[in-house]
Amino acid sequence: MLSALLTIIRRDLLVAFRRRAELMNPILFYVIVVTLFPLGVSPDQAFLSQLAPGVVWVTALLAALISMESIFRQDFDDGSVEQLFLSQHPPTVLILGKVIAHWLITGLPMLIIVPLMALLLYIPQQAIPTLFVTVLIGTPILSLIGAIGVALTAGLRGGGVLLGLLVLPLYIPVLIFASGAVSAAIEGLPYSGHVAMLGAGLILALILAPLAISGSLKISMS
Amino acid sequence: MRTQEVSVLEAHDLKCVKGSTELFSNVHLELQSGEALVVEGSNGSGKTSLLRILCGFNYPADGEITWNGESVEGHESYQQQISYIGHASGVKLDLTVIENLVFAQRLVGSDRTEAEIKGIIRAVGLFKQRNILTRKLSAGQKRRVALARLQLEERQLWILDEPLTALDRDFVTEFEMVLKNHLEQKGMLIVTTHRKLKLPSALMKQINLSSL
Repeated sequence: MLSALLTIIRRDLLVAFRRRAELMNPILFYVIVVTLFPLGVSPDQAFLSQLAPGVVWVTALLAALISMESIFRQDFDDGSVEQLFLSQHPPTVLILGKVIAHWLITGLPMLIIVPLMALLLYIPQQAIPTLFVTVLIGTPILSLIGAIGVALTAGLRGGGVLLGLLVLPLYIPVLIFASGAVSAAIEGLPYSGHVAMLGAGLILALILAPLAISGSLKISMS
Repeated sequence: MRTQEVSVLEAHDLKCVKGSTELFSNVHLELQSGEALVVEGSNGSGKTSLLRILCGFNYPADGEITWNGESVEGHESYQQQISYIGHASGVKLDLTVIENLVFAQRLVGSDRTEAEIKGIIRAVGLFKQRNILTRKLSAGQKRRVALARLQLEERQLWILDEPLTALDRDFVTEFEMVLKNHLEQKGMLIVTTHRKLKLPSALMKQINLSSL
């Protein structure tokens, strides 16, 4: 089972590496949108650091959303989706592998770039570890939930807008708890409650999302 | 190739409805180990839909499919008997020929050695191209990669949707030998094709969806 998980992760990473030109798009989008705020709203330090948690996380949601499309698009085009269901291994395991691979490609770069974003938005130093932890826990949830939406809309023409309408409302809890944790950390308040809620969300998503994705793929295939 | 157990696939009263049009109804079929079923019918008569129903990707509007007498609904073990090649052949364009086959066989859970995989690649005539991205191959060569996968997977029931598309005549003859071999090893074959397949007629069954 573990070997099947690793196999599919390796396959998807290899495919992504061969298309590395596309890899950078979501993360560039993320950086550019965040830098627009000091330019467009106000470069004032006190104002920005108050705005920062929301900006970082709203942008993260949008970047996650535009990166999601690619997770099943090709598999639908080249017929790999059908093969997932004919495998010796449970489809849910393979699907989890696909989501993990996708997170490694899109979520991990976001994690690496977080300190830079914090600097741009004057997030005080004591809050940076919190921001880091929320991104670490929050972005996998975004990938898992987003994959459900993509699986449902993959068979449709013009599914892109629909995907946003479908998935963004489901991202709201992540936004609330993640930006809440960062805000609390900036003010010097305890934030472990928020992080615990995020962690619970991640566990729930890890268990339930592969089932939902598998069901959605089946619907899209037929 | 491994010799398989004797199995029977049956379908009763299958009916397929797309939107509000009925594609076919009252389709009966029975297939035993060592037999081939050729599905015929004009364009749009539901050949692909029938194959996808038999694979368990789509549900029939009515009717039942049984494998060795047991209904296949909710039985994942049935789907693990199937190798399927559809119009989209399940070949990853951003992987090389050999990578495609290595990953594919690991996912189905068979463990051929590298040498065996190379042997099959040679048999389908892609040995020189084995380290080239599949994207750069011709349509017929891509099809050959899919047919190589078929031979690696060692599944009993082959469900093939127009497998001969874009293949040259020499390779079709070779592929017919592969199919014959598969049937001799107690394999089963369900296939749609617009070209004539030369298989021993004693083993061939036919069903025509247009005339139902």
